[in-house]
Amino acid sequence: MIESFKHLEQLAADRDLAEVFLEADEQEHAVPREQILEALRKRRAVMRDCVERGKGGGISMGKLVGDEAKKLNEAFQAGKTFLDPLTVKAELYALAVMGENSRMGVIVAAPTAGAGGVVPGMLLALEEERHVDPEKTVRALVVAGGVGSIIALSANISGAAGGCQNEVGVASSMGAAAVAYMMGGTTRESIHAAAMALKNTLGLVCDPVGGLVEVPCVKRNALFAVHGLTAAQLALAGVESVIPMDEIVEAMVRIGRAMPRGLRETAEGGLATTVTGCEIGQRIKDEANQRRAERAAERERVAQERKDGVAG
Amino acid sequence: MTIRHDRKVSILDVMGPVMVGPSSSHTAGTARLGRVAREILDEDPVAVHFFLHPPLAATYRGHGSDFALTGGSIGLNVDDPRIPEAIRIAEQMGVDITFSEEDLGDVHPNTVRIEIEGKTRTAEIAGSSIGGGVIEVFKINGFQTRFKGDSPTLLLFYRDRPGMISEATKIIAEEGINIASLSCSRKQRGKDAFMQIDVDSPLSAAALQRICSIGDVARAQYLDRIP
Repeated sequence: MIESFKHLEQLAADRDLAEVFLEADEQEHAVPREQILEALRKRRAVMRDCVERGKGGGISMGKLVGDEAKKLNEAFQAGKTFLDPLTVKAELYALAVMGENSRMGVIVAAPTAGAGGVVPGMLLALEEERHVDPEKTVRALVVAGGVGSIIALSANISGAAGGCQNEVGVASSMGAAAVAYMMGGTTRESIHAAAMALKNTLGLVCDPVGGLVEVPCVKRNALFAVHGLTAAQLALAGVESVIPMDEIVEAMVRIGRAMPRGLRETAEGGLATTVTGCEIGQRIKDEANQRRAERAAERERVAQERKDGVAG
Repeated sequence: MTIRHDRKVSILDVMGPVMVGPSSSHTAGTARLGRVAREILDEDPVAVHFFLHPPLAATYRGHGSDFALTGGSIGLNVDDPRIPEAIRIAEQMGVDITFSEEDLGDVHPNTVRIEIEGKTRTAEIAGSSIGGGVIEVFKINGFQTRFKGDSPTLLLFYRDRPGMISEATKIIAEEGINIASLSCSRKQRGKDAFMQIDVDSPLSAAALQRICSIGDVARAQYLDRIP
């Protein structure tokens, strides 16, 4: 078992990082490597589909988001974006996935649904823009998953456990390592990319408006996809994190524990309790109660009909 | 007693599951918890009652956890596009679904207790959705355990007596199947007891039949990996 990032660096110093993760997973979980790769090929395809569907936009369940991907795509297609295409696509694809997620569409949790736009945003944009072989992307998903699995040894990957640092922060860290790998970086560079991405999301709270995975989640995924790309860029230029990755994960866990409950996915603090956040929260509650009342009335009507039927 | 080789979360657990949005802990994990209850009941449910730990009770509606828990409890997978319609489907099936709040003690915020009733039996589980679709069921039919649904598992309900572990594990060994972990608990010495055996590969129907016929076994149930 790969016990830490320090251990990983020793194991994989001069080896292909994906290969080392595959070997460890095969041993640990008795799943043949080809089966892992095949599952990830399918998941890459689900991500790809999700991006295509998501570009069209559409209103979310909570009606708070919907046309972000569509707008950015239109601006991009019309040549009206000012950032370079890789960055724009990373944002766009992350928005597209999160839009689908907010409509209860089929997505890949990577590592969670609420942070599910970051990794596909980074990896699929890079694949297209740098003409990377899709099979290499699949192996980069192995790297992303492997990095996440080491983090998961000491941290619960959920906003409820430690805020958004544990979700979008971890996703951005996994994606940064995977991007460094796709660009031909060394194991050490991948680990430092992960470290710089994670380190600079520490303290990020989970304060979803109305308790929905919509605001700020959808746009946050887009912004942190770009964050992950910049961390990988630094690492590939030889910049290293002063604090080692294992210690950053420890810090993340400690910060999560110190984080008030109201800022851990409960919608009882932060953006959720701003004036606008409270108004939206109340509307969502009212609508849910109304739906429940309607369902109860419908149930009663059906029961009454049955009774009448029996009597008649 | 517990013999356990703790498993690391796998690459596919982290880069997955493929699921219906919007939240892996509130939608995918809760759907899997509902599914565990349905699998343990092992027949069509007529009523399912969900008791939500307060933090989950505060957040479940906005994440569609009500659809997900219900969907799982009627047998839908986490990537089934019918999950958003699950409550309506359950009603059409004549399943009575209720949600209420209950303080479940010092547990993960996203924890739920589920009482599920079929025509001939009932089952009860309590478990947490700990993120990324990963679950930890810590109570099955009143017995303490730790069930993650990430491997094939044998659940054994029996009367506590010497030799039960060796008789059950002997049959599994004869099948050439490796045991990943094994845990037992009992309500009282010599009374109702429970054994959970996680195995590395699927158990044959013949082996399950043999285990069922061990003396003092009330019920043996084989669960595949919970999708």
